[in-house]
Amino acid sequence: MAEQLTLPQTATPAAGVRVPSADIYAPKWRNFIFVAPYLFFFTTLLVFPLFWGIWLSFHKADTFSTGKFVGFGNYIRLFNDKVFLQSIWNTFYFVGLTVPALALIGLFLALCLNRRTRSAAVLRTIFFSSSVLSVTIVTLIWRIVYIPNNGLLSIVYGWFGATAPSFISDPNLAMIGIAIATIWWCIGLPMMLFLSALQQIPQDIYEAAALDNANRWQTLRSITLPSIKRTFVLVIIIQIVLQFQLFGQPWLMTRGGPNNLTKPIVLYIYDTAFRRWDLGLGAAASEILFILILIAAMAQYLVTRRKGEL
Amino acid sequence: MTAHIEIKDVVKRFGAATVIDHLSLSIDPNEFMVFLGPSGCGKSTLLRMIAGLESVDEGTISINGQRIDNLPPGQRDIAMVFQSYALYPHMTVADNMAFGLRNIGISADVISARVTEAGRMLEIGHLMERKPGQLSGGQRQRVAIGRAIVKEPKAFLFDEPLSNLDAALRVRTRVELAQLRHRVKSTMIFVTHDQIEAMTLADRIVVMNNRKIEQIGTPMEIYSRPATRFVATFVGSPAMNFVDATLDTSGTNVTARFAGGVSVETDIGSNQLGDGKYTFGIRSEDVRVAPVGQGNAEGVVDVIERLGERTLVYARLGDGQQVVGSDAGNSPVAVGDRIGLAFDGRKSHLFNEAGHAWHARGV
Amino acid sequence: MSHNPAIKGRAFGDRVLLGLVILLAIVMIAPVFFVVALSLKNNQELMVDPNSVFRLPYTLVNYINTVGTSSVFRWVLNSAIVAGGLTIFTLVLSSLAGYGFARLNFPGRDALFIIVLLGLAVPEQAVLVARHQIFSWIGLHNSYPGLILPGLSSAFGVFLMTQYFRAIPKELDEAAMLDNASRFRIFWKVLLPLTVPAQATLGIFTFLGAWNDYFWPLISATKKEMFTLTVGIASTQVNFAQSQGIGFLMAQAVFAGAPILIVYLFFQKYIVTAVSGAAVR
Repeated sequence: MAEQLTLPQTATPAAGVRVPSADIYAPKWRNFIFVAPYLFFFTTLLVFPLFWGIWLSFHKADTFSTGKFVGFGNYIRLFNDKVFLQSIWNTFYFVGLTVPALALIGLFLALCLNRRTRSAAVLRTIFFSSSVLSVTIVTLIWRIVYIPNNGLLSIVYGWFGATAPSFISDPNLAMIGIAIATIWWCIGLPMMLFLSALQQIPQDIYEAAALDNANRWQTLRSITLPSIKRTFVLVIIIQIVLQFQLFGQPWLMTRGGPNNLTKPIVLYIYDTAFRRWDLGLGAAASEILFILILIAAMAQYLVTRRKGEL
Repeated sequence: MTAHIEIKDVVKRFGAATVIDHLSLSIDPNEFMVFLGPSGCGKSTLLRMIAGLESVDEGTISINGQRIDNLPPGQRDIAMVFQSYALYPHMTVADNMAFGLRNIGISADVISARVTEAGRMLEIGHLMERKPGQLSGGQRQRVAIGRAIVKEPKAFLFDEPLSNLDAALRVRTRVELAQLRHRVKSTMIFVTHDQIEAMTLADRIVVMNNRKIEQIGTPMEIYSRPATRFVATFVGSPAMNFVDATLDTSGTNVTARFAGGVSVETDIGSNQLGDGKYTFGIRSEDVRVAPVGQGNAEGVVDVIERLGERTLVYARLGDGQQVVGSDAGNSPVAVGDRIGLAFDGRKSHLFNEAGHAWHARGV
Repeated sequence: MSHNPAIKGRAFGDRVLLGLVILLAIVMIAPVFFVVALSLKNNQELMVDPNSVFRLPYTLVNYINTVGTSSVFRWVLNSAIVAGGLTIFTLVLSSLAGYGFARLNFPGRDALFIIVLLGLAVPEQAVLVARHQIFSWIGLHNSYPGLILPGLSSAFGVFLMTQYFRAIPKELDEAAMLDNASRFRIFWKVLLPLTVPAQATLGIFTFLGAWNDYFWPLISATKKEMFTLTVGIASTQVNFAQSQGIGFLMAQAVFAGAPILIVYLFFQKYIVTAVSGAAVR
C-alpha cells in the first residue's frame, strides 16, 4: 500500500519561565572593560577639554582661573582685532600658496616615479625623506638657505653677481618663503598618496588602451587622470586641514613678521593664550579655527564615503 | 564519548526574520547526521546553535539529557570543523591542535600523546611544526579535523567542510571522512548543500528548506520516498520528473493520464487520495527509452547527455512537457528522433498542491 | 622595435621628464648637503668667506663641541622617553579598545564608537588652551606624564586597530571559544599576534608624530631640562645669526635630524605605509 510520510511534529512549548540560552554576541557590561582604559583618556583629555575650551571662550580667563563670564565678548574682541583678521587672511593666503602646489607637484612626481626601476625608488626615497624631519630641523635648514651673506641662496646668487631676494624680511616675500619651505617639507605625502592610487589602476586597462592605439597623452587624459580624481580631491582636503594648522614654520623663521604678515591663526592663538596669557581670547580664536577645520574635515568625510561617485 | 542530542521546539530569529521555526530533532548516539538543504535554509544556523555560537530564542537543546543551550560554547564538550577551517594562522599545526587542551589544563604528556595520535591517524605527523599558511587546502582540512579529534568531544560538528576543496580532493576527503567516522566513535553532524555528500556519508539525512525540516530519513528513504516535492527536486540528479496529470481514480489503483491520451497505471490506491490537483512524479531511471509504439508515451528527443554507464534522454511529450528518461550507455538515440517512453507505474509518485507525496508500493 | 617613431618619442619624453625630476631632487637635497657642509666648517673661516663652505678643510670640531657642551643628549633622552612611552601606551590602549569595539558587544557600543570617530575630526588646537589650563591645575607641566598624556586621547589608533580586528575572520574567535578560551585569552593568544602589521604601522606613526611634535612640548615643557629635542634645538637657534657660530648650530641640527633620517632609510616601507595610511584613514 502507498503511504504518506508524516512530517516531524513539533513539541508544545514548555510552560513557565525559560532559562535563557547562552548568547556569545549579547551585549554585556563586562565587555566594556576592554574599551574603558582608552575611553578614560579620550574623555578626560579630549572631550572634556573640548567643551571646557568652549566654556573658556566665554570667559576672561588666565592660566589658573576661569575669571568672569563675558558672553560673546571675546569673539567681538577678536573680530575687532586687526591682527586676528590679518591672521585669518594670512592662513588662507598660505593655504592658497601651498595646497595647489603640493597637489600638482605631488601628482607630477607620482606620474614620473610610478615605475619599478631602481632610480625611481631612490628618487621616491629622496622626495619623501624630508617628511620625517621635525619642523625645527626644516625651518633651520631653510633659514640657512635664506639668510643674507652666509645663506645658500645668497651664495648662489653671488656667483652670478646678483643679490638674493630676502625671503625672510621682505614683506612681499616672507610668506612665499615659508610656503616654499613647507612644500619642501610636505611633498612626500601627496606623492605617496598619488602613487598608491596609480598602483590601484588595473594594468589591463592600459593594455586595452594600447591595443586601441591610444598615445601617451590620450592614455593619461582619458584613463590615468579620471581614475585618480577621487585621490586628487582627497589630497587637496587633507592638505587644507594640515596647512590650516600652520604654526612652527613662521614661529621659527619669522616670528610672524614682518608686521604680522606671516602670522597665521595658530600663531595668533599661541601669542594670545601662551605669551599674553589671555586664555579666554585664545580659546575663542581656537574655536574659530576648529570650525574652519571642521568644514574641511566634513568635506573629507563625504569624499571618503561616496566612493565611485567622484 | 558520544552524545544523544535532543533539539526541542527551537526557534531562531534575526531581528524580524525567523530563520528556524519551531524545529525539533533527535540525533542518536554515534549517529552520522547530515543537514542537507539549499543556502539560507537555516541548516548552518541550526548547527551553530548546537555549537553555542548562536543563541536559541525559544526551545531547548540538550545532550544526554542535560540542557546545553544555556552553556557557553566551550563547556558543551563539542568540537567543530569550520568551512574556512579557522586554523590559528600564527600557531604551528601541533599548537593549533593543542590550544583547546591547554585551555582546560590537560597535562602536557596527555596533550602530546593525543596530538601525535591524531597526526598519525590523519597522516599529518610530518607537518606538525608547519604553520597553516604553509599547508595545502587538503592538509589544512585535516588539521582542522585533527583539532577536533584531540578534544575527544561528545559530538563533532562539520560546517560544509569540503566546499573549499577542489573537486578531486573533495571526493577523496569524502571517502576518508567515511572511514574516519568508523574509527572515531562519536556523534557527528555534517552540514552540506551537496546531496552526494549527504547520500554517501549519512546514517540519516535531515532535509531542510525554508526554516523547517522537510524530511528526516536514511539516504535511501530520502531518495526513493521523498516526503515532499521539494525533497524530490533537491535530492537526486537529474531531479525527479514532474508531469501535470489528470487522475483516474475509478479503479483500485490510480491511473495518471497526460499528453494526449498517455496513461500510466500507478501502484497507488485510489482510496488514499483526496480532492484537488496532483502532479505525477517519476525518476529518470524509471522512464525507459523504447522503440516507438512500445511503452506508454511518445516524445521527440531534445537533448542527450551521455554519462558513460547510461544515457539521459530529454524528450518532449506531445503537449510540450519535458521528461528525462534513461537508456543504455551506448544508446543509438539522436536529437530529433521520435522515441517511445515506458513509465514504470510501480515506481511512481503523486504530489498534491501542498507538495506532500504519495508513493507507489514498488519504491 | 626602435624604428617605431612612437616608441622613440616615448623614450625621449621619458628622458626629459626624468631629467626634470632629477633636477627637482637636487633642489630637494641641496639644502641638506649645504647644512651638513656648514656643520663641518670652522666658524671663523665661514665668517671671513661664506664660499669657503664648498672648500676643504673640513673639521669635526663642531660635533665635538656639540657632544661636549650642549644639552642635546638630555633632550634626545626626553624625546625618547616621551615618544617611546606614548607609543607603548597607545599600542596597548588602541589594541584593547580596537578588540572591544570590533569583537565584543556592550550596551551603547556603536554610539560610543561613532563618538570616538568624531574625535578624529577635532584638531589639537581646539583643545590646547583648555588642556593647558587643566594641566596647570594638576601641576603636570614640565613632567613626562604631562608630555605623554595628551597623545593618549588620539582616536586614530583605536580607529586603525578596530578596522584591523574587524578584518580578521570571526571564525577564529568562534573556534577559540569552542576551544574553551576566555575573551582575554582569545585577544591575547589568537588575535593580537595577527595584528603585528597594524601594530608596526601604528607604532611608527605614533613614535614619529611624538618625536617631531612641537606645539604641545613648547607650551608644556618650559624648563630647559624638560625640553624635547624639537623644542630644545629650536631654543638654541632663535637668533643664530649672531650666536656661537653657524657651523656649531648646524652640527647640532645634523645631530638631531640624522637619527630619524637613518631610521627612515631602514624602515622606509613601514614609515611610508604608516604615514600615508594615517592620512587616508
